[in-house]
Amino acid sequence: MLKGHLDLIVLAALSGRPAHGYAVIEEIRRKSGQAFDLPEGTIYPALHRLEQAGLLVSHWETADSGRRRRVYALTRRGRGALAERRAVWQRFSDAIGGLLGTEPLTRLT
Amino acid sequence: MIDAYVDSLLLALRHDRSLARRVRREVEDHLWEAVRADPSVESREAQRRAIAVFGNPGLIAAQFAAVSLQKQTRRTGAAVVLIVAGVYITMKARVAWYALMECAISNEIAAIAQLVGSIDRYSFWLSVVLGAGCWAYSGRGGFQVSLSRKHRNLCRRFIFLCSAAAIALVVSVISDAVLTLLRLPKVDLSLEFLIPTLSMLCEILGAGVLVGQIRSTAQRVAITRTMLEAL
Repeated sequence: MLKGHLDLIVLAALSGRPAHGYAVIEEIRRKSGQAFDLPEGTIYPALHRLEQAGLLVSHWETADSGRRRRVYALTRRGRGALAERRAVWQRFSDAIGGLLGTEPLTRLT
Repeated sequence: MIDAYVDSLLLALRHDRSLARRVRREVEDHLWEAVRADPSVESREAQRRAIAVFGNPGLIAAQFAAVSLQKQTRRTGAAVVLIVAGVYITMKARVAWYALMECAISNEIAAIAQLVGSIDRYSFWLSVVLGAGCWAYSGRGGFQVSLSRKHRNLCRRFIFLCSAAAIALVVSVISDAVLTLLRLPKVDLSLEFLIPTLSMLCEILGAGVLVGQIRSTAQRVAITRTMLEAL
């Protein structure tokens, strides 16, 4: 399930501020309450793919440690795509919530 | 340990050097940052952990290869259109030059020139139609991590269309070369000889670049498929 929504997850992780790959993973962990445990390496092909699609831009930056990092940021198109996917997810989530409901479960208990 | 891991990842990406360079710097930076964030254990153990969490290098390389393939197909689709347009402009410029220099074909070879001219025209317009198809296909993209049957067919059709467009363009360029040879009066260093010759060289170069680009795309399709099948 996570695999199918990786692009949405990455876009959401970058919605606050630009970040490099390692920080994107940290942000995903933090925001999801450590729920997502994906192989860290799979984030980079996703970042490259989203950049190629024009949803992200990136540039090299020198960190305090002296290492050069590739920092990614959402583009205007990326923000639009995130808003669109967020709305789709919300509709899906509402629909599933409506289907599962709380009423049948309370009756069972 | 990290160097060996990165090397194994990059070995699979050697077909795309610019991507491999960027991946090396990003992955090395990531892994060393993970090691730094894990100071409680011995460095070698921290490296082993960072690598384990990073994931299977074969899977990551295959995902990068799919991204690289998508970029390559877009580039090839654009190259077909640009090169066909470039050949068209060069052809028209040469014809205008002939008109300016009043360089006509002699009556003895007019029939041959007409036949070659027809082949040139039809093959060129065929390359235009096929090139437009390539460009449309390249925009469809969608070369997913798993090269499914649908995406394999997409790749196959794309390579077929590009190859057909390139063959039609090569036939057109050869016909142009024949027409140029029929028109040129003698080999010398005059503008009358050099301008058409240089324009022909530009056409040949363009066709060569296109063939190289398609060959490279076909190779990447094969490499990506092999990598994905090995998972």
